Amino acid sequence: MADRLLFTKTGRARYISHLDLMRTFQRAFSRAKIPIKHTEGFNPHPFVSIALPLSVGFSSQCEILEFGLLEGTSYEEVPERLTAAMPEGIIIHRCWPGERKLKELCYVNYIMTFDYPEGRPQETESAMTALLGRESLVVKKKSNKAKAGFTEIDIIPLVHSWRMECQSDTMMVDLVTSAQNPGLNPDLIRSAFCAENPEYTPDFVTFHRRDVLDGEGKSFR
Amino acid sequence: MMNRTLEHILPKVQKPARYTGGEYNAVVKDKNRVDVRYALCFPDTYEIGMSNLGCRILYGVMNQRPEVWCERCFAPWGDMEEALRREGLLLYGLESGDPIAEFDIIGFSLGYEMAYTNVLNMLDLAGLALRSADRHDFSPLIVAGGTCCYNPEPLAPFVDFFVLGEGEEVTLEYIDLYRQARDEGWSKEEFLMEAAKIEGIYVPSLYEPVYRSDGTLEEVKALEGTSELVTKRIVQDMDKAYFPVKTIIPSTEIVHDRVMLELFRGCIRGCRFCQAGYAYRPVRSRSPELLAQYGREAIENSGYQEMTLSSLSSTDYPDLLPLCDELLDYCAPRDIGLSLPSLRADTFSMGLMERLQRVRRGGLTFAPEAGTQRLRDAINKNLREEDLIQSCKTAFAGGWSGVKLYFMLGLPTETDEDVLGIADLARKVYFTWREYSPNKARGVRITVSTSWFVPKPHTAFQWEAQIPVEEYQRRVNLLRDALKRDKSITYNWHDPQTSYLEAILSRGDRRLADVLEWVWTHGGKMDSWTEYFDYQRWLDGLAACGLDGDFYAHRERPRDEIFPWCRVSTGVNHSFLWRERELCYESTTTPDCRSRCSGCGANKLLTGGGRCG
Repeated sequence: MADRLLFTKTGRARYISHLDLMRTFQRAFSRAKIPIKHTEGFNPHPFVSIALPLSVGFSSQCEILEFGLLEGTSYEEVPERLTAAMPEGIIIHRCWPGERKLKELCYVNYIMTFDYPEGRPQETESAMTALLGRESLVVKKKSNKAKAGFTEIDIIPLVHSWRMECQSDTMMVDLVTSAQNPGLNPDLIRSAFCAENPEYTPDFVTFHRRDVLDGEGKSFR
Repeated sequence: MMNRTLEHILPKVQKPARYTGGEYNAVVKDKNRVDVRYALCFPDTYEIGMSNLGCRILYGVMNQRPEVWCERCFAPWGDMEEALRREGLLLYGLESGDPIAEFDIIGFSLGYEMAYTNVLNMLDLAGLALRSADRHDFSPLIVAGGTCCYNPEPLAPFVDFFVLGEGEEVTLEYIDLYRQARDEGWSKEEFLMEAAKIEGIYVPSLYEPVYRSDGTLEEVKALEGTSELVTKRIVQDMDKAYFPVKTIIPSTEIVHDRVMLELFRGCIRGCRFCQAGYAYRPVRSRSPELLAQYGREAIENSGYQEMTLSSLSSTDYPDLLPLCDELLDYCAPRDIGLSLPSLRADTFSMGLMERLQRVRRGGLTFAPEAGTQRLRDAINKNLREEDLIQSCKTAFAGGWSGVKLYFMLGLPTETDEDVLGIADLARKVYFTWREYSPNKARGVRITVSTSWFVPKPHTAFQWEAQIPVEEYQRRVNLLRDALKRDKSITYNWHDPQTSYLEAILSRGDRRLADVLEWVWTHGGKMDSWTEYFDYQRWLDGLAACGLDGDFYAHRERPRDEIFPWCRVSTGVNHSFLWRERELCYESTTTPDCRSRCSGCGANKLLTGGGRCG
C-alpha cells in the first residue's frame, strides 16, 4: 500500500488547483531530495495522488497525499524537509505507511462560514435549518460529462450531520458530508441557500475542510 | 498578505494562482526594513511573464541587495481586471499585496510592440496618470527596459526613463541614484537630468522631436547638456554575471515551465533582418564548466524535469557537444529532458542528434527564412540548401518524422521565384524523408510557416518598406497554390494585421503615443491575444490622430533619414548597417563574426581589449 502524508493548505496556497498541486508536490519531493517511486511506462514520472480533490479557494487542515517513499529517507524526517521545499501555505504534518484502504474514507467535516459584515439577519438561522431539514433537495451540478452540461443531485442524503453556530455577523455551519461515490461539494449548499433566500445572500462564504472521517466518524489516516 | 476583498474575488476568476504570489522561492522581505521598493512589471499574463529569463535575472539581482525589495506584477486577464476595477482594488505587487503606486520605482519589461497598450492599462490599474508630465510626485518613477526600447519613442511620453541593453548593472546604479535623490529631496526633473548621465539611460523628456511638413523628422533635438547619443549597456564577463540558479517556481503552469540555461549573448551570424542579432552584439559566452554547474544547481533547486539551452543560435556555442554530454550525464539517469531550440539547420549533426535523443524527443524546427539560395544570401542567412537537406537526412534517418520550416515573405529583393522556392525546398525535404526514413508507415509531417517581414530599427533593413498587405496576401496565395497538392506538407501563414501594426510601432515616432492612448481609451489591451485584439480599433486610432500607418510601415526611407531612434545606439554603426543593406542588394554574404570580424563597431563596447567571443 502507498505511503501517506497529511498536510494543510491555507493562505495563498488555497488557490493552487488540484493538478497544479500534484505537480508542485512532484517538484517539491525532488527539491527536498526525497526520492519517491515513479510511474512505469513510456514516460515515467514521480507518482503522487491526492485522496480527495479540494475546490480552489477552500482551505484544509486534513489533506492526504499518497506516494511511495524510496529507501534512504525515514518517515519522521519527511514533514520538515518537504515543508521547506513547498510554496507558502502548505505544511506537511505527518508521513506514514498507509494501512487502510482509501475507500474507508467515508465522510468529510467542513466548516462553512457565512459572512454578514453589515450584520446577520436573524432569519438566516431558521432558513438554513429549514433548508437542511427537508426530505429532499435536488440541485443542478455542473458536469463536463453530461450532455446538458449539468447533472441533478440530491443534497440531503449526502449530508450526514450538521450543527450551526451563529454570531451577530456570521453563521457557521459545521457539516459532515459524504466523501465519495458520490461526494458533496458544500458550495452546493451555499448556492441552494442563496437561491432559496436571495435576501439572505451573505457577503462571502469561506469553506474549510477540518477532517476526513471513516465510517465510524473517526479521523481517517 | 492578502486582503479580504481579494479573497472574495479570487475564487471567481480563472486561474487565481496567478494573482496570489507565495510561490516557492518568491522573495518576501520586511517592508519596514527595506529602503527601496521596486515593482518589476511585465505587460502580459503571469504565464508569459514568468517565462522571461531577463525578468528572473533582474528580480534576483535586485533582491540580492538587502535594502531593495523587488516584487512582481503582471497584466491581469480580463475577468480579474474587471473584478479589480469593480472592487476598487489597485494593481498590487504579488509578494506583499501592496499597491505598486506606493512603490519607489516601477519597471516595465518591453519585449514586443503588441504589449504597449498593456503598459498603459497597468499604469491605469495602478492608479497612476499615464503621462510622465502628469505624474508630479517624485515617486513612483516609471522605467522601461527590454528589446523594444531600442526605439523608445512610441512610449516616450508615458515613461520617465528607458534603460538600453542589459540591466544587471545599470538597474542598481539608478536605484542608488534614486535613493540619493530621494534622501536629498531632489525634484523629479533634477533626478532625470542626473540619471541621463548614467550610460545606457535615455530620458525622453530631454529630447524633442522636430518634424518636417511631410511628417519625417528634421531632428530629435537633444536639450542643453544632454548627451547626443545614448549607448546600450552590456555585461562584460558572462562568467561573472548573475545567473538565477535559485529562482521562483510557479505553483501553476507557465509557458516555459523548465530550467532555462543561457549559453551566450549576441549572435555571430549577422542575419540582416534580425534585430536581436545586431542589438545583442557583441557575442559573449559562458564557460561550459560554469553552465554545467548552473544546470545541475538549477535542477536541484527547482525540481524541474526539463532543461532547455537558450541563446539566439545554440549550435554556434563552441563547446555545445561537450556541454550536452556533461548535462546529459546528469539529466539522463534522472529522467530530466534536455531540449535545444534555436538550431541552425546547417549544424544539426549526428552527434547532436544522438545526444538529444538520449532523453525525450521533441519536434525539430529549422528556420531557412527564404526559399532560394539567392535570397538567403541576400539576407545573409548563410544557410546552404545542401546543409539543410543533410540535416533533415540525419533527422529522418534517426527516426524523426516531423520537421517545421519557418520562412518570411516580403523580404527585400524577394521575387515570385523566391516564394515558389519555399515550396520546392519543402518538397525536397519531403523527398529526403521518403528516401531516408526507416519507418515510412508512420508518415511525415512537414510544416511550412510564413510570417510577413517586419523591418526593425537597428538592422540593415531599417530603411526598407514593408511590402503592402495585398502583395503579402498575393504571395501567400502563390505559395498556398504551389503547395496545394502536397498532402504531407502543411502550410500556415501569419495573419497580416498584427504584422502591420508591429511595422508601424517598431519604427514609429513619438506621435504614435497619441494612437496608443486612443486605442487604450477605446478598450485596447492584450493585443497579442485574439480574444482581445481588434484591428479596426487600431485603424480608427491612427485615423483619429491624423496619422497614416502606411507612412511608417510601407515607406522606404532614404539613406539620410533621421530615425526616431537616432539618439539610441546598440554599439553597431549605422554606416555598417547601410553597407550590409547594399550587400543585400548584391546578394553578397558577410562572413560570421568568428570567421572574420566585419567591423560593426560593437566590439568597442568591450572594455578589455575588444575581442568578441
